[in-house]
Amino acid sequence: MYRMLSVDLTSGKVEEKEVSELFRTFIGGTGVLTYLAMQEITKDLDPFSEKSPIYFAIGPLNGYFPSMSKTVAMFRSPLTGDLGESHAGGRLSLAMLSANVHVLRITGRAEKPVYLSIDDDSVKLVPCSSLWGRSALATERILREKEDHRKGKKSIVRIGPAGERLSPIAAVTVDSSRHFGRLGLGAIMGSKNLKAIVVSGSNCPELKDKRSYQSLYDRIFQELIGSENTYKYRDLGTAANVVPLSKIMGLPTRNFSQGFFEGAQGISGEYFADHVLAQQISCAHCPIGCIHMGVLRELFADPHMYKALKTSYDHELIYSLGSNVSVSKAENVLKLIHFVERQGWDAISIGVVLAWATEAFQRGFITLKETEGPALNFGDVETYLKVLENIALGKNEFYRDLEKGTYHCAKKYGGEDFAICFNKNEAPGYMTGPDAFVGYAVGVRHSHLDCAGYSVDQKYLGRSEDIEKEVRAMYEEAVWRVLTNSLVMCLFARGVYTPQKVVECLNAVGFDIDESKMNQIAHTVHGMKYSLKESLGFAFADLTLPKKLTSVYTSRGKMSEADFKKRIEPYQRLVEEDKSLASRAL
Amino acid sequence: MAKKLVVKDRERCIGCYSCMFACTRTWYEAVGIEKSAMRVKNYPGVEGAFSVRVCQACRDPECAAACPTGALRVSKRGFGVELVKELCTHCRECIKACAANALQWDEQEKLPIVCHHCGVCVRYCPTKVLAMEEVR
Ligand code: SF4
Ligand code: SF4
Ligand code: SF4
Repeated sequence: MYRMLSVDLTSGKVEEKEVSELFRTFIGGTGVLTYLAMQEITKDLDPFSEKSPIYFAIGPLNGYFPSMSKTVAMFRSPLTGDLGESHAGGRLSLAMLSANVHVLRITGRAEKPVYLSIDDDSVKLVPCSSLWGRSALATERILREKEDHRKGKKSIVRIGPAGERLSPIAAVTVDSSRHFGRLGLGAIMGSKNLKAIVVSGSNCPELKDKRSYQSLYDRIFQELIGSENTYKYRDLGTAANVVPLSKIMGLPTRNFSQGFFEGAQGISGEYFADHVLAQQISCAHCPIGCIHMGVLRELFADPHMYKALKTSYDHELIYSLGSNVSVSKAENVLKLIHFVERQGWDAISIGVVLAWATEAFQRGFITLKETEGPALNFGDVETYLKVLENIALGKNEFYRDLEKGTYHCAKKYGGEDFAICFNKNEAPGYMTGPDAFVGYAVGVRHSHLDCAGYSVDQKYLGRSEDIEKEVRAMYEEAVWRVLTNSLVMCLFARGVYTPQKVVECLNAVGFDIDESKMNQIAHTVHGMKYSLKESLGFAFADLTLPKKLTSVYTSRGKMSEADFKKRIEPYQRLVEEDKSLASRAL
Repeated sequence: MAKKLVVKDRERCIGCYSCMFACTRTWYEAVGIEKSAMRVKNYPGVEGAFSVRVCQACRDPECAAACPTGALRVSKRGFGVELVKELCTHCRECIKACAANALQWDEQEKLPIVCHHCGVCVRYCPTKVLAMEEVR
């Protein structure tokens, strides 16, 4: 039986509902949430209103199979106004399963700061005014200690001060350095006076047919720990991409001016591993161990007084707070990441904001009058730290604007041509060519992970383009990922979980499903997402390529606005088919 | 000679919990970690530091000595313990007695969770934190 828990922060009312039918129809995770969001998220809903819902969901394979370790969040994005969706690992999916909560729905607004405490059947709102203002890191430490009496493993989901300030690029941090990073979920929690959610439980679902389950489990487990598919994530992690991307001119550098970063060696996966890597850690029930923890040792008093900051790094952070702002020392990247972690901004977005602000300063859109002192230079870490601090302090209007996102700032101060956003969302760390950019634009959550255009680009390096095939490859990937996001699987395990294996797993947990039915559901949910997005204002016709990107050299050379549109149109046609499928199904 | 479960290299632990899932699955035919006989704990506020608790395979177990009914007794192996469920009065004395804090409690069944020193968890540890060792 699948269960939804609804909590109204205004009245404190808690409701339970069985949602097994929804899981049967839409599998779970993103599938189920898309359906629920369609009932509640409408064009006139203010993301910061009491009625605005936040949903979290797991899927039918979480807990049952290794690396099914993610949780999906859905909401209306305060950054884009469009549908907000973000995924995080950590221990949350395990904790939700243990608490027997498959969907958590939160609405309302608490009068004063609270955290939501879920421990098996005990669901409480705990006043926590004294936690308001505490960093995302301190909040976890405090709650982990405060709730230490609990029996089950806790997952601690919380916002930092950025979310409290309603920054639409605020993230929600989960356990040790996992995030619902993108699209501003942190601000919605902030608007609800919801500082944190602590989840635990003791439920251990029984296995029906252990024998066949165990042999399937073992096959998958062995592949996850032994295969090439996962090795790179464990070894150097996604940071392994940094140098190869720079070599093919695909690593965004100095606000997407070029794809080659002369300082790539200093922020490479190899450099990080050799000099700052302390250890790898993992999400609950994932044997891959992709989370790379770096340690930064800093002298704070002569001659030998040191402090150590421990913080996780990966490719996206190294791009956004490294190459894209021309910071070429791993240690400095860690410093910036650590500041961002404490405040609780989405690291990609805030990095793109810094890059935009630097270029805007250099071109005269922003002056010393706005910055009240600092001159912005690419590569100047000390100044960037100062800027971040000023944002955190809300020093003046300009700094308060910066945390409203790049799109907002460029509209206000000018410099829209070099504001690297797609559908108002700051771009991720690949400039491999047209498919990467088109992917950011058309993707359901405007992430590089929606349709993996960056990987399609790399397959076509040095080959002549084949727009139809490229677009189809992206679209098919996007549809498949709707399915994996309904399970809810970690993408790093995607090489192991083939469609056929996913069917076996679903059968093992009692789903009567085959590949064609699974495919049908994926297409339907994909169509539902775009119908919902369009009802909230998204339109393929409005998608544009930031002007600057038409004059820079990507891994696949230069591209024009026309090249961009040429791909959007066929992509839209494919989506239309899914939309009609969805409207017939609903 | 019989073998026991030991923590060989704690610092290698990545906190994946594969071990606890394996133990729960094997002995309780269930999904999760809360029925595992061994535990991986994280310290509040210390990133990535895990404490791994396993039964010490005592020859003269404190837990069994504390058991008022003889439900928990030295295993036939000669080390560690076994449980006679029917005799257990759910008093938790055994849990309190184990100074290594290694004996776990099944919240649902209200019974101690004993380690069988079967070695299954060892096989699922991707970084070889755990090992089976000869009992001397
Ligand atoms: S549970 Fe504790 S006291 Fe009992 S045998 Fe194991 S380590 Fe010894
Ligand atoms: S040795 Fe066996 S019983 Fe003991 S903790 Fe490991 S899997 Fe569980
Ligand atoms: S399986 Fe090994 S690495 Fe994973 S939590 Fe257990 S002891 Fe740690």
